[in-house]
Amino acid sequence: MTISKTSLVATTAMLLSATAVLAEGELNALVWCDHTDPALLEPFEKAFDVKVNVKEYEGTAAGLAILDQSRPGDWDVMVIDGVDVGRAVDQGLLAALPADELATADFFPDLVMAENNTRDGITYAVTEKFGYNTIAYNKTKVDPADMEDMSSLWSGKYDGRIAIYDYYLPLLGLIGLEQGVATADLDATALEALRARAYGLKAASLQVSDVVASQTALATGEVDILIGGGEWVTAVLSAESPELDWTVPAEGALRWSQSIAVLEDSGNKDMAVEFVKYITSPEGQARLATSSCYWGMPANSLAGGVLTDAEKAALRWDQQGDYIARTQLYPVPDADLDLSMQDLWTDMLQQ
Amino acid sequence: MRALSWIYIGAIFTFIFLPVVVLVLFSFQDSRLPVPPFNGPSLKWYTQVLNDRGLMEALTNSLLVALVSAAVALLLGFFAAQGLARIRLPGSVLMRGLLIAPMTVSYLIIALGLLSMFNDLGFRPSLWTTGVGHVVINVPLCFAILFASMGDHQKNAERAARDLGAGEVQVLFLVTAPMLKPALLAAYFLSVTFSWDEFIIAFLLTRFDVTLPVEIWSMLRSGLSPATNAIGSLVFLVSIAILFLLEFTVFRKPRA
Amino acid sequence: MSIETTDKRRAFGFVAPALLWTCAFFILPFAAMILLSLAHLEGRTVVQGYDFGNYIKIFTEPSLLKGIRVSLEITLVVTVISVVLAWPLAWIIATRVPPRYQRLAIMLAVLPFWTSYVVRSYAWALVLGQNGVLMQGLIGIGILDAPIQIMATRAATVIGFVHFFVMLLTLTIYSNLIQLSPNYARAAADLGANGWNTFRLVILPLTLPGIMTGAFLTFVLCIGDYITPQILGGNNELTMPQLIMLQLGRRGDFPMASALSVVLMALVTVAYALSARWLKMERV
Repeated sequence: MTISKTSLVATTAMLLSATAVLAEGELNALVWCDHTDPALLEPFEKAFDVKVNVKEYEGTAAGLAILDQSRPGDWDVMVIDGVDVGRAVDQGLLAALPADELATADFFPDLVMAENNTRDGITYAVTEKFGYNTIAYNKTKVDPADMEDMSSLWSGKYDGRIAIYDYYLPLLGLIGLEQGVATADLDATALEALRARAYGLKAASLQVSDVVASQTALATGEVDILIGGGEWVTAVLSAESPELDWTVPAEGALRWSQSIAVLEDSGNKDMAVEFVKYITSPEGQARLATSSCYWGMPANSLAGGVLTDAEKAALRWDQQGDYIARTQLYPVPDADLDLSMQDLWTDMLQQ
Repeated sequence: MRALSWIYIGAIFTFIFLPVVVLVLFSFQDSRLPVPPFNGPSLKWYTQVLNDRGLMEALTNSLLVALVSAAVALLLGFFAAQGLARIRLPGSVLMRGLLIAPMTVSYLIIALGLLSMFNDLGFRPSLWTTGVGHVVINVPLCFAILFASMGDHQKNAERAARDLGAGEVQVLFLVTAPMLKPALLAAYFLSVTFSWDEFIIAFLLTRFDVTLPVEIWSMLRSGLSPATNAIGSLVFLVSIAILFLLEFTVFRKPRA
Repeated sequence: MSIETTDKRRAFGFVAPALLWTCAFFILPFAAMILLSLAHLEGRTVVQGYDFGNYIKIFTEPSLLKGIRVSLEITLVVTVISVVLAWPLAWIIATRVPPRYQRLAIMLAVLPFWTSYVVRSYAWALVLGQNGVLMQGLIGIGILDAPIQIMATRAATVIGFVHFFVMLLTLTIYSNLIQLSPNYARAAADLGANGWNTFRLVILPLTLPGIMTGAFLTFVLCIGDYITPQILGGNNELTMPQLIMLQLGRRGDFPMASALSVVLMALVTVAYALSARWLKMERV
């Protein structure tokens, strides 16, 4: 087994250079797993002759923790929960975006989300994708009528057939909705009142799992219901698993939206802004919407011209108005409430 | 009794090989999910994997980190074993304990410690920091193996060489090392294996340039598909090939 | 300067690099970690105190305490099962398999080592699923009527662990067994001992060091492992490594993660103390 000396030297040189100051032709992005699809990144990389390095993270707290542990200039672009843009702005992490160059005029009006993405007239982030954390299920294994009422998950009929999506924010929001508490009203007292209900849900479920484990469980029939799931789970599997479906129950559901922003400390702001513009362009939006990790509705309505009819059907393109009206945004806890929520979640996992 | 033995071996081997067989089988799955039913063999996942730039880079990175960190660990372990084996030093029990200690600590803790420290010192996570971590976990292994194989037999040869006027370096590389060849090779090989397959240290201490286990973990997090089976099978088959190659060339004991 | 002093100096010089590396990249970080465990998180900043707040929390908060219990339970079960399964295999290979093929047999026994650890756990997830190979197979043969739930339970985690450690223990116990002279067994037989007594009073005690070393290694690796419980356990009961990663990943709570790590280390040290008798590092 031999490695040629030259290739060894070359690789070592490459390694050394990688740890040096960030090269001109690179963009470092802190993203969610749907941004790692080469089909999304390569057109941009080719057009601008740049390499996009991506690192995935889950949950805003984790992302902010990564930023805390990094040095200025480490990151250029960040994907962040729409409702959490404010927190990042508070910490001075985000750079101002040139609002006039962005395609927000073409967005679905409810998804511009100016109250979240702007502060004092300055745009810090732009919505790129949205969807729902609601109930996804296998329509051949469960009674779809039951799925219109969230409380049927606690009824005992589906014990051991449920997976819980492992993200405390929307899930606690959903449990709150089931109890009639609007997400905006979730405070420490309201949270504590949800504890028993959360434990009850855990007892009725088989597992608490992340994006892929949840998809797998649903697709392989390990579970029949995924609470916290939505089109983001089922659409990507729609071709091979047409028996998977989702709905927004009577109690309502959570609407997630993700925004993309440029980091204030970025050493490559111009390129970062170009990336943001690409992502929010109709083509970028269409690719992002159908990205390999999970699907979601594009914020830019013009993407509808690029998506195929089958894709739009899987995303329920035409029913968005109804869904948007009946769903609520994620809770936005302050640091203490956030920790309390995470503690409750850990307690729930350990039941 | 005989029959019982063979039945037992059969049963255990079935258990041991079950996941591997399933893994390889479903790497040829035609449909999207690597679960039964099995749809006719297809090579498309292997094609996808081999064309995956990220995976191939991760593979090279793993190899690089493994070979280099194992070499460093071997060197450090060899010299340490030499130092402690040839003469009774004060505090040698303590030193031995210190050198072995990392073997008893969970890799997660080693990784956390290094992450914390590198953070404070301003070093970004990279393949280098991972390499440092891998040396930490492999030095005890190399030291233990080499220390255990250094015996009087070889000490006498060294003494003879020194008596005949050989310098220190000569003794080490022309007398000691050749005599310890099996142990040296075993230590190096094991270290490469441990580093190659190591996940948690690499996971916490790399950023964009990752090793193969980390890349596979990312694959698992972003889409269930037989492609994961394919890369797993590939790694397995290549490792087996190397193993058998080594077995029949290097490790073969000369017939007494 | 006598030859002895020069020799000692030189010998010390040989040991120094390894010692320095271990001190710099193991001892020091660990000491820093202990220090960090005495700090706490306020909002998102680490406030260095010197109080045992984190430790008190670990031992009073049910979810964290449960993590310790779960880790210990799983690890002990895994260790016992793995030893019980591996010993006969090692013994059979060492005594029943013709010497020429022993090397091959052992290599075959540990071959799956060379699939990536991550991939192997994932493979078990596929095997143990309700629609996975195992269930489909058992139903097909007729042993089962309906699939039983294994994935996302403790059983799955244990199976995943046992799979790995049976291979490891077979290797370590086998290496120990072949060093045993067959004369011991013969002598015992000569002295009138039957098979069972020979095994119980001669062979087993002689292999105990090998077993204990392997068991200790199993304990350490198992209690500190993150991947297997994460992939196979369904987040249903978190082990200590999972709790540590949770602190790190979601909350960025380095101090608490450090404190949990120190507790983990303490558990390993206790295990070491209990088995130290057999773990002496002697030169043969």
